[in-house]
Amino acid sequence: MDNKKTRILLIEDDQDMAEAIRLRLEANNFDIILAHDGMEGLSKARTENPDLIILDVMLPKLDGFNLCRMLKFDEKHKSILIIILSAKVQKTDIERGKEVGADAYITKPFKAEELLAKIKELINSK
Amino acid sequence: MTYQKREVYLQIEDLKNKISWAIGFRYAFVFLGLFLIYFSHTGNAYAPLSLELIISVGLYNIAANLIYALKKEYKLWQAVAAAGVFQFFDIAAITFLIYITGWVESPYWFLYLVMIIVSGFGMFSYYSFAVFLIAFFSAVFYLGLLLSAYLGILPIYGTSFSLTPDQLLISIYNKAIFTSVAFFLFATTIYYFSKLLNEQHEELFIKNRKFLAALTRIKAIDRMKDEFVSTASHELRTPLSVVRENLSLIEDGIVGTIGPKQKKLLETSRANIDRLAKILDNLLDIAKIESHSLDLRCQTTDITQLGRKAVELLKPKAEHKSVTLETTFPKEAMLWIDPEQILRVFVNLIDNAIKHTGQDGKIIVGIEEAKKEIRTYIKDNGEGIAREDFPKVFERFVHIGTGHETLSRGAGLGLSICKGIVEMHNGIISFESEIDRGSTFTFSLPKIKSNGQ
Repeated sequence: MDNKKTRILLIEDDQDMAEAIRLRLEANNFDIILAHDGMEGLSKARTENPDLIILDVMLPKLDGFNLCRMLKFDEKHKSILIIILSAKVQKTDIERGKEVGADAYITKPFKAEELLAKIKELINSK
Repeated sequence: MTYQKREVYLQIEDLKNKISWAIGFRYAFVFLGLFLIYFSHTGNAYAPLSLELIISVGLYNIAANLIYALKKEYKLWQAVAAAGVFQFFDIAAITFLIYITGWVESPYWFLYLVMIIVSGFGMFSYYSFAVFLIAFFSAVFYLGLLLSAYLGILPIYGTSFSLTPDQLLISIYNKAIFTSVAFFLFATTIYYFSKLLNEQHEELFIKNRKFLAALTRIKAIDRMKDEFVSTASHELRTPLSVVRENLSLIEDGIVGTIGPKQKKLLETSRANIDRLAKILDNLLDIAKIESHSLDLRCQTTDITQLGRKAVELLKPKAEHKSVTLETTFPKEAMLWIDPEQILRVFVNLIDNAIKHTGQDGKIIVGIEEAKKEIRTYIKDNGEGIAREDFPKVFERFVHIGTGHETLSRGAGLGLSICKGIVEMHNGIISFESEIDRGSTFTFSLPKIKSNGQ
C-alpha cells in the first residue's frame, strides 16, 4: 500500500457531486475511478479491482443496496471495502446498509474530514 | 370481524346463495302440501281442521312476505322478533298437523327434528341461532312427550298409545307424500327467513368493507405523505451536499489559494449549510412524529445513563459559554423507552437551556423517582420565558427569547419534537418559567409495570 496508491471506485450518478468528491480524494492522493450508474459501477468493481468503493444509494439501473449485496456476497469481491454515501438518512436505510454488508454508512451532506477519516480507518484496519 | 371469520362467512354466504332457489319453490310446495293434506282428510272428521291449518299457514306466510316486501331495513331486534314469531307459527303448524294426523301415532313427529336441522343451516348468524334455540327446545319438549307416551309413563291428553313400532313405521310409509311435502315446507320456511336476515348481514358486510377500504385509503395517503417528506428531504440533501463539498474544497485551498476574508465567508456559508441540513432532519422527524410513523425501539433502559450521556455530549458547549452543568441523579431508574429518542429529548432540552442561559449561568439536570413515573427536569437560571409566550413554547417554527447567535438557531422544531417523543412514550412534558429567573422543563415517563420487565 505504501508504494501503490489506494484505488477508489466512486459510484455516483450526480455529476457535480462526483466531481466534488473526485477533487477532494485526488487532493488526498487517491486513485479515482468513476462510475455513473449501478450497472457500470458493478462491472467496474469486478474488472478494475478497487480497494474501496464509495457508493451512492439512489442510482439508475441498479441501486446501491443491491449492488453492495451483490459484491459482499461474492467470494471474489467481498474484500472490497464499501462506504455507502447517501442522502437517505432514515434509521431503516442505515440498517439496510448494514444488512447488505456495507463497511460504513455516511449521510449527505457529509463532512469531507469525516469521509477521509473513515476511508483511512477502513484501509488501515484491512 | 377478523379476517378468518370473514372468510368463513363469505363461504357460507356463497353456499346459501347457491341454494336460495329453494325459496322460489317455497310457496308452490307450501300450498300443494297443504291441499294434499286436506284432500287426504276429505270425508273424515279432520277435514275442517285441515282447512283451518291451510288457511292459517297461508295467512302467516303471506304476512311474512308482505313484511319482507314492504320493509327493507330491519333493526336487529325486529329481525330476531320476526324470525321468532314465524318460527313459533311453524312449530304450531307442525303440532297441529301432528294432532290431526293421529297425534302420538302421527308420522310427522320427526318434523321437529327436521326443523332443528334446517335451522342449523342458518346457525352462523345470531338471528338464526335464536330460531334454532326455539326449535330445539320445542322439539325436545314434544319428543319427551312422545317418548313418555311410547314407554307408557304418561298418556298424552287422554290418547292411549295404540300402535306398535312396526305399525308406526308402516303408517309413516303410507304417508310418504306428506312427509316429503312437509319437509320442503319447513326447509324452505327456514331458508326464507335466513335469506331475509342474511341480506341484513350483507348490508353490514358491505358497510364493513367500505369502511375497510376507506381505512386503507387513509393509510395510503399517510404513507404518501411520509414518502413525500422523505423523498423531498433526499432531493434537497443531494444538491446541498454538492454545494457544501464545493465550498469546503475552495475553503481548504484544494482548487487554488484564497485569502482569509474569503475563507471567513466560505466558512459561514458552510456552517449555514450544516444548519439547513439539521433543519431538514428535524422536519423529517416532525413529519414522522405527526404521522405516527416514527417507530420506537423500546428496551429496558436506565434513564440516568441517558442523562449522563447527554450531559457529557453538551459539556463542551456549556464550558464554552462558562455555564455550569450539574446533575442530581438517583443510582438508576429503569424505564421501557427508546434510548435513542429519549437521549434526543435530553440533548434538545439541555441544548436549549444552554442557549438561553447567559455567561456563568447554571443548569441543573435532575431525575426523580415518583410512585408511578420517573420525572426528569432541566432547570436553568437564564432569561426565562415571557408569560404571553407560554402557549407558543411547544409550537413549531417558533423562536422564543432573544440574543442568541443565528447559527445556533434551528427551525424552532426542537421542543415540538421533544413533545412528540415524550407523548409517544405516554409521558407528559411541561415547563415553568419566570422572566429573568429561568425556566424548568420537566418530562415524566411512566414506569415499567411490574410484569413488564
